[in-house]
Formats: sequence, structure tokens, C-alpha cells
Amino acid sequence: MQRRLAEQEVVATINEVLEDYFEIEREKLLPEMNIFEDLELDSLDIVDLVVAMQEKFGVRIRDDERIRSIRTLGDIYQFVLALQEEGFSGRP
Amino acid sequence: MKRVVISGVGAVSPLGGDVPSLVGGIEEGKSAVRYMEGWDRYVGLRSLVAAPAELKNEKAIPRKSRRSMGRMSVFAVQATEQALADAEVGREVLSSDRIGCIIGSTMGSAESLCEAFETMLPERDLSKLTAMKFFQCVSHTAAMNVAQYLGITGYVMATSAACASSLQAIGAGYDLVRMGKQDLVLCGGSEELHPTVTASFDILFATSTGYNDDPQRTPRPFDAERDGLVVGEGCGMVVLEEYERALERGAKTYGEIIGYHTGGSGDHVTQSNRESIVRCIGAALSSAGISAAEVDYINAHGTATRHGDEVEAQAIREVFGDAVPVSSLKGYFGHTLGASGALELIASLAMMEKGVIYPTLNLETVDEGCKGIRHVMRPLRSEIGVLMKNCFAFGGINAALVCRRLER
Repeated sequence: MQRRLAEQEVVATINEVLEDYFEIEREKLLPEMNIFEDLELDSLDIVDLVVAMQEKFGVRIRDDERIRSIRTLGDIYQFVLALQEEGFSGRP
Repeated sequence: MKRVVISGVGAVSPLGGDVPSLVGGIEEGKSAVRYMEGWDRYVGLRSLVAAPAELKNEKAIPRKSRRSMGRMSVFAVQATEQALADAEVGREVLSSDRIGCIIGSTMGSAESLCEAFETMLPERDLSKLTAMKFFQCVSHTAAMNVAQYLGITGYVMATSAACASSLQAIGAGYDLVRMGKQDLVLCGGSEELHPTVTASFDILFATSTGYNDDPQRTPRPFDAERDGLVVGEGCGMVVLEEYERALERGAKTYGEIIGYHTGGSGDHVTQSNRESIVRCIGAALSSAGISAAEVDYINAHGTATRHGDEVEAQAIREVFGDAVPVSSLKGYFGHTLGASGALELIASLAMMEKGVIYPTLNLETVDEGCKGIRHVMRPLRSEIGVLMKNCFAFGGINAALVCRRLER
């Protein structure tokens, strides 16, 4: 990652992607929302979400197995925070 | 064989986002050609004029449907929805397996293709490519997106024959309905303007390069001062319907398709071939069961290239002499390539309805090589009982369609 981000910044960045790119209303962007059932994303959207997150956070996560277990918006926040903990300190 | 009528039309063109603006613009003698700001940064691009269409209201298409659409597919959805509304065909009947969709184009979205290559090639890195690029780039993008959006479950096809694409789409739909394989087919073509598209013609010396400072004076089909084509964009769609079905539901009809032919020149990839055009026109007339003398109007391909216009004029002269009025519409809204056959057919059907032939815009002095046919140079009051629409594409692909007015 370019620099270590505060949790709020991570959340805000992910929400911005979901709002701008996937046109999801801000009110629906709550951690407990299921990204498939509540936010109505599908497998194709996940590919594009990964591309957008790689761009936003400067990480390379396309082959990261943990993506498969993501169900809620909160899981996405936690996944990015975990990547940060693992010390992604620069663009891969 | 069954009879086939056109029961609805829809258009997004450089003259506006619907059929009335297309026909009205032509009627008023408007040119949609303009200087393209920013194109001069392309080294070697000499033609800096084009006829762009306006992309608007695209967000009316839900995101999940829109995400796989480039500009040309949005145009296609909008033109198709207009055509369906015009034909008074509701969406609820579209998933019947008896209703199909054929939309032609030269290729997929030019803008998306460029973005895909720009994303991938600098670092040879695929990881930045979005999932949707593929669906925007494929050659059947317009047909696929329209069919998905409308839930069409009958034939879905994409004719890809450059400037003959949409006439081939209409011809293919005509054949399907005629043979009883489909009851109704949404047919047409869609195309997207991009500097790389103009460039592909520019490097072949086929574009207009001498009117960058005076864009409204080009293209000039059949004119002595013509210097090449001007690329446009948009989508034209027609609803082809089996005659009895249309009659039964009291549909309005713009005309009946009575003949069609398409064939290759087998000669040269860019140079038009007179003999093959004559054969194509002859085969279309013969499939319609009419003689050349029964045609009241020819809507020419007439792109304003030096060679193409001359060969087309020679071919028309050989078949029709100087008896049949001929005009090209490309002076009004450029060459919309894969969409041109459909957009120009729609305008021609309007001429048939109004009993007026719109002239070739920018044709002031007929070129020596294009003489001997009846050029329409000012609006001409004329009853059109039968019209012919011609398209001749790079790759040596010719197509001709014959339509007849139906008495109400």
C-alpha cells in the first residue's frame, strides 16, 4: 500500500468505489450488508471490484483465496485492513 | 414464402436521438459534421472532421445491463426501444423464441477496445482489466446487449461486414421471417465514432481531409470537389414482422421488403467493383420479381470517396440509365458505417411516406465520372412506390434491399 490508512479511510475508499462504480446508494453501505443479496453484486462485479481495489490501494489481490469467502461489506473492510496488517508497504 | 413488413423504426444519429430529428434534420438540410477538437494530437491523422452522435440518458438503462455496454450498445438499446414503441410491440412478448434480434457493426466498441489495449499493453499486465471490457469489445456486443436487456430468446446474430453490416442484418432478418423461422426480428446496425476508426480510413486515403476548416461542406457525394468520407456514428433499428401478424394486430407499416441480395466482389479489398455491384443490384431486383424500370428511388451508398462514387454511379447507370432519382444521405450525417444501411433506409422510408426525395447534400457540381444518372440536387416531390437501398463495404461486400410501399 502507498501508506498505512486509518480504518475510516479504508471504509470510505471502499464505499466510494461501491457508490461511484457500482452505483449503490450510500444508505445501503453498511458493514452487515451481504454484497450479493443486499447489494446485488454478482461474480462479474467481484472481478471489477478487485480491479478497482487494486487500483485504489495499490495491492495485487486477484489470486488471493480470501476473496472467495467474502460475503458482507464488513468482510471487504476487514480483508483490506488485514492486507494492511500484513505489511503491503508498496505497490507490488 | 411469407411476406415481410417493416412495422417500427428507431434511430440515434448525429442529427439527434430519434427518428423525427433524423428525418427533420435532413428535411432542413442540416449537416451534423463538425471539426473534432483534440483529434489533431494524433500524429498522421489528416481528417479532423466527423459526425458525432450525442450519448444521453444512458443511466435509464439499469447498471447490470449497462455495465457490458460500450457507447454503441447504448445507442442500440435506445434505437431498439424506440422501434419497439413505434411498432407497439410490448416487452412482454419478446421472450417467445419466435422473436429475434440481428444487429450488425464493423466491430465492437472502439473506445472500449482502445481502453482495453491501453490498460493491458504498456506493462503487459492483465490484472487491471475489468470483467466487462470483453463484452464491450466483442463484435456481437450490440446484438448481445440488446438481446440480454430485452430478454430476447429467438435468433440473436451479429452481421459484421463493415459498411454493409446493417443492410445484411435487415436482409438476414427478412430471410428468417420469409422462411417462417421467426415471426418478428429486430434488425439494424450500430457504430461508434473514435479517432482510431477515422484513422483506419485515413491511412487508406479514403477520408475527407480538405475541409477541416469548413466541415459542413463535406462529405460531398458525387461532387467534383469531393475528397473522401467523413465518419459518423449511431444506430438504426427496424422491426421486421410477418405480414399477416402485422395485419392481424393492426400494426402500421412503413413498407414491405420484397427483395434482397448480398454478394462479394471477389476482386479487391477496398476498390469497388462495378460488375459485382451490377450483379448484386440485378439479383435484388430479380428476387423482388421486378424490373429496373419499376424502381422509383435509389438511396445510394455514396460515401464521397473518389473511386467508390464513380463506380457506384457507373453501376447504377448500367442498370437504371438516367431514369431513376438517386441521392446519398451521407452529406447530412456522415458515414455511419455499420449503421448506415439501417439509418438511411429509415430516412428513405420517410421519403416514401411523405412523397418527397431528399437531395444529396453538398452535391453542387456533378463530377464527370459520376454523370449519366439522375442525381437529386434539390428536394423532389415524387411518389415512391418502390425504393432500393444500397451498401457497398470494404472487403468487397455488396448488399441491396428493395422495399415497396403498402397501401393502407
